[in-house]
Amino acid sequence: MPRPPSSRLLPWIAAPLSVALVTALGRWAGANAPTIGSFYLVAVLGLAAWGGWAVGAAASVAAMLCFNYFFLPPLGTLTIAEPANWVALISFLIGSTFASRLVTTARRQAEEARRRRREVEILYDLSFGLFAVSQRPGVLGEAAARTLRAIGAESGSLFLGGSSEPVSVIGDPSAGQGPEVHLPLEVGGLSVGMLTARGVTAPRAVLEPAGRLLALAVERERLLAESAHLEAMRESDVLKTSLLRAVSHDLRTPLTAMRLEVESLAPHVAGLPEAAARVQGLALEQERLARRIDNLLSLARLEAGVARPHPEPVPPAGLFRAARESLERVLAGRSVEVRVEPRCPDLWTDPSLTLEILVNLLENSVRIAPPDRPVELAASPAPEGVWIEVRDHGPGLPPGVRRLLESPREARRTGESGDSASGGLGLRIAQGLAQANGGALALLDRPGGGTIARLTLPAAPEPEEEA
Amino acid sequence: MTRTAPLILVVDDDPSIRQTLARELAVAGYDVLPAADGVEGRTLFEEWRPDLVITDLAMPRADGHAVIASVRRVDRTPVIVLSVRGEEEDKVRALDLGADDYVTKPFSLRELLARVRTQLRRSGAGAAPEVLRFPGLEIDLARRAVTQEGREVRLTPTELAILELLATHAGRPVTLRQIIAAVWKGAPATTTDTVRVHVGSLRRKLEPDPANPRYIGTEPWVGYRFLAEPDL
Repeated sequence: MPRPPSSRLLPWIAAPLSVALVTALGRWAGANAPTIGSFYLVAVLGLAAWGGWAVGAAASVAAMLCFNYFFLPPLGTLTIAEPANWVALISFLIGSTFASRLVTTARRQAEEARRRRREVEILYDLSFGLFAVSQRPGVLGEAAARTLRAIGAESGSLFLGGSSEPVSVIGDPSAGQGPEVHLPLEVGGLSVGMLTARGVTAPRAVLEPAGRLLALAVERERLLAESAHLEAMRESDVLKTSLLRAVSHDLRTPLTAMRLEVESLAPHVAGLPEAAARVQGLALEQERLARRIDNLLSLARLEAGVARPHPEPVPPAGLFRAARESLERVLAGRSVEVRVEPRCPDLWTDPSLTLEILVNLLENSVRIAPPDRPVELAASPAPEGVWIEVRDHGPGLPPGVRRLLESPREARRTGESGDSASGGLGLRIAQGLAQANGGALALLDRPGGGTIARLTLPAAPEPEEEA
Repeated sequence: MTRTAPLILVVDDDPSIRQTLARELAVAGYDVLPAADGVEGRTLFEEWRPDLVITDLAMPRADGHAVIASVRRVDRTPVIVLSVRGEEEDKVRALDLGADDYVTKPFSLRELLARVRTQLRRSGAGAAPEVLRFPGLEIDLARRAVTQEGREVRLTPTELAILELLATHAGRPVTLRQIIAAVWKGAPATTTDTVRVHVGSLRRKLEPDPANPRYIGTEPWVGYRFLAEPDL
């Protein structure tokens, strides 16, 4: 154990003095040889216990010489007349050396035990302190301060992860004696950070376990923060769902009332052609508005992750029929041709979403195509599944719309949506719905003029024949 | 108490929908009881025993599901649900609870009136006939024989059971869960895919054009609906 140099020297000075003192006392009292021998032994043991084994050994030699010189005949010389006295002298030397060795070992063990007890006490206090801290989230600084206090440091800093910026600085970093100690904070072999400390007074053996305890506190803090985050995410999902429900209810209720009112107007204007046409126009616009709201709410639901597509086998012909029924008024007087290839498999898709996409595409085509040319609905097997196509003889695609589909951000930046902005919104929604539904939407130029809107969707697995 | 016109209970928390529906149903020749929420709906149902119930699903104070449950505790009065797009689970739950049909907001009045007529005709039909007749299709429940355009269609027992269930509910949606409960008696390994496979093969045997069904229509999210109107 390191000690200041002065206290290490002291036993070496005390050793000759003690031997001299015992010698003087023995001479003055006129003690015989065996008595003085045990006096010397006591002195040597005391010196050994105090100054360690080397001091004890040196004192043994000195005591042996003095014993011989002053107490064993012939006195005043280092020679020994009687052989029995040789035996006494040598057994004294051996005995005192062994005894001083034993005393030193016992002393060292006692010291070691004391040191260990102190380490355990420090760590116990620290773990208690850190647990108390962890019950209040967000106080890593407090945990680091307690650790520093436990290892007797005057100042220090806590670093998390690989960051070189301390999350917490305790005390004045320039103050404190001695070198800076770096404590790695590890949990399960993974580094979670580092604690630097200056002026550490606790035993070295404590530092590593103290670091491990602080690392656990840091890890626990991280897990607490993570679970709080997860909880917050779950709550925001619940919030999103109820918000979307409320919006959906509040938008659809007036729409439903409007639709009922407009419909109930129809019989009253049956005999008035102009009014009847206006009521019909109102109904059309009301339906269009309802479709847009449906589109936006579906997209919002999918993007918010509160609704998942619900795929089932969908026959393309049924899908086409449903699309035409939904657009009954829009398609009035228009010709729509339906082509389903004989070997075309069913789609594996969410029927409501797919109908929504198809209705958007069909509505778009009918709006831009010349009224005297038919719009075609086609389904055919494709390498990736099934192609559902809406083909028209319209003017083809303005570049802005295609850009809007391919890189909406870019198109928005350059303001390229132009006069086709309304069609662009319908297409954007159709594309968003298609992607959320596991499909893809592409706009192609039709050979001979016009546009093909192609929706690629997975094919349903063939049902097995019943045995 | 004898009534000349059928009595319809309309439960919706939105006054304008409730009033418009009440007015238009009255114009169509029905007597109407309006109720502003589920609690009032249940009270009026107990008191008046209407012939048909039309109810919204999302309402404050006892929602539509509560109304359906209390109607079903009493009898088989037809219930039509006003559902909202995007809340398909609610709609399926309502049908599984015993609702007979649904329309999706914003629905058309024409569509709702057609559903009302279908439901009233069914509930007034009395005992189930031995032979169900549809255009081009005849299902003899006693002989367990199916004839389509004069030719006998050979069905497996499972297919026949599904067809009987759908045909006796003609014009009304039947949920996948109802099919599993009725045909498989809720056998644990039965999945909705099993039902789809059997309906697929039933369609191939029955439908002149299986891709464009004339009899068995698919109801997205819900299950199936028998499309043909019964011959009287």
